[in-house]
Amino acid sequence: MQGNDVALDGVSVTYSNGFTAVHPTDLTIRPGEFFSILGPSGCGKTTILRAVSGFVQPSAGRILIGGDDQAGKAPNARPTALIFQNLALFPLMSVRENVAFGLEARRMSKRARLAKAEELLDLVALADQGSKKPGELSGGQRQRVAIARALAVEPSVLLLDEPLSALDLKLRQHMRTELRGIQKKTGVTFIYITHDQSEALTMSDRIAVMNAGRIEQVGTGDEVYSQPLTAFAATFVGEVNALPGTITSREGGLVRMDTALGQMIARNPTDMAEGSKAMLFVRPEHLRIDTGNLVNRIEATLERRDLEGAFLTLHLRATATGQPLAAHMVNTGAPLPQGTTSVGFLPEAALVLPEGPVAKTGGEHAA
Amino acid sequence: MTSKRLLSAYTWLFLAFMFAPLLLMIVTSFNDTSPPSVTDWQGFTTKWYRFFWMPVEDLRADPVLRILDRDRFAQCFGNSLTVAGVVVPLSLLLGLAGAVMLTRWQSRFNSVLWWVLLSPMLAPGIVLGLSALVFWGRVGVNGGLFTIMMAQVTFIAGYPMLILMARLQRQPVELEEAALDLGASPWRTFRRITLPFLAPALFSAAVIAFLASMENYNTTMFAKGGACTFATEIGAMARNPNGHPPVINAVGTIIILLTVAFAVGHALLQRKERPA
Repeated sequence: MQGNDVALDGVSVTYSNGFTAVHPTDLTIRPGEFFSILGPSGCGKTTILRAVSGFVQPSAGRILIGGDDQAGKAPNARPTALIFQNLALFPLMSVRENVAFGLEARRMSKRARLAKAEELLDLVALADQGSKKPGELSGGQRQRVAIARALAVEPSVLLLDEPLSALDLKLRQHMRTELRGIQKKTGVTFIYITHDQSEALTMSDRIAVMNAGRIEQVGTGDEVYSQPLTAFAATFVGEVNALPGTITSREGGLVRMDTALGQMIARNPTDMAEGSKAMLFVRPEHLRIDTGNLVNRIEATLERRDLEGAFLTLHLRATATGQPLAAHMVNTGAPLPQGTTSVGFLPEAALVLPEGPVAKTGGEHAA
Repeated sequence: MTSKRLLSAYTWLFLAFMFAPLLLMIVTSFNDTSPPSVTDWQGFTTKWYRFFWMPVEDLRADPVLRILDRDRFAQCFGNSLTVAGVVVPLSLLLGLAGAVMLTRWQSRFNSVLWWVLLSPMLAPGIVLGLSALVFWGRVGVNGGLFTIMMAQVTFIAGYPMLILMARLQRQPVELEEAALDLGASPWRTFRRITLPFLAPALFSAAVIAFLASMENYNTTMFAKGGACTFATEIGAMARNPNGHPPVINAVGTIIILLTVAFAVGHALLQRKERPA
């Protein structure tokens, strides 16, 4: 098996009822890459997947797989295989027949396709389950049957539509490792759709953050988390404290910004000009209780502390505006501040981005 | 407490209303008198059943049975089987096509189409029968078995369509999409995924279409021209001004027995399919 690259060239999708699910999008996915499209439900990520697999026709633009234009090709003529959210295993066929189905459609002899099916069941560690019906398997096993069935047709691109969403937490975490392992072993390009940021962050080579039919940012997990380029990407991936304000001056890569909680200094990755309306973002792990000589300081009251295990989440409220703030602290048993305290952060740990839509709730936290 | 008693009284009355006539019919089918009677008991007999296979001499010797035309009755029954033999597969095909179209082909004309396809089921049988007769008459086909078939198919196809639609709506579309995505042609997808899933519903639909065709009277009556079927022949016998021969009661009893046997068999099969 060999992965192929996938290129979206100005692809947009407008449904017959006039709703534009995907605005013109350019995207290049590298061969053999584990690529995730991360976004809230209804953001158009499934539509992109269905357009690549051939179930939805783009209203404009081209989709190329391995340089080959897919226009006019039906799903059964594309080098892709789709793993559905509900898995769509054939309930009346045995597991082995399920896996062999794509080969049957390719007119492979019965003996050859059953041998191939056994090989794939072995790959997903289900070698002894071939005679069972899908209904007799556990959720994780059914998951692996779906993967084996899709891999049987030797796709160069495997498309996965939130396939782990029906599993419980432990199994989901386990399947992440397995999926990643299978992807490495086969070298097939994976395009993985999810609204779960921790799934995307743990498995992917690169992530596209999507909102309201547009891709907001493409990058590695580290880039998307540490260097978000839009207000949406900053708020959807991971937890973040956001302060609206106006940029008053620029000093090198840093800006000075007026907020309702006072003047702050932060990084300016998008090169915003003086006088711009902006939002300042700082992650909870960068907020410190021990403000020492920090330039950015906020007066706040500790309202509640949540024990997360290795760390604590402190829920504070800014004295000046009543805005809630969150800070993470390593759980060392050190005493917590009482009453009014002061939290702060380094200018390098915060960044200002143009005002824009923010995620209503951050991406789901599975872990 | 009284409401409970009222309810059970109502239930018993309802059952009596449903089944008392059937019981009477069964009893009279064994009474040696014609026209059928329960009050005037003339002794137990099975000759109303034996009518269908007794030797011709015995038939001629009986004052009631001798005036009945057994051969004609057999021929009309055979006609009914012929009609059903065409109507059942044809309505299954049409019903399946309609069901697939209405559940899988998303179009804004679907609701219009739904009413167009179902309207024959709601239309009076007389209208269907007459219009089949008139239409085929214009084309040059006279009333007969063919017009009966055409008239029956127009409304009987609706039953398989409803049954198959209910089944198709329970199958996730993703199963068919998955098959297509794995490289199967639409035809293979239909044959390997959709059809096996539909099999039990196709069987039920065939049984219902068969029964609907066999027992249909009004549409058939108007479309039949000079031909006869099981139902129209029984109808003709029942219209005897001197009261109908108890042979009809015997036929009715046999139909009840077959129906009960069918229902029990179906229930047993279903229990076997889904243990506990």
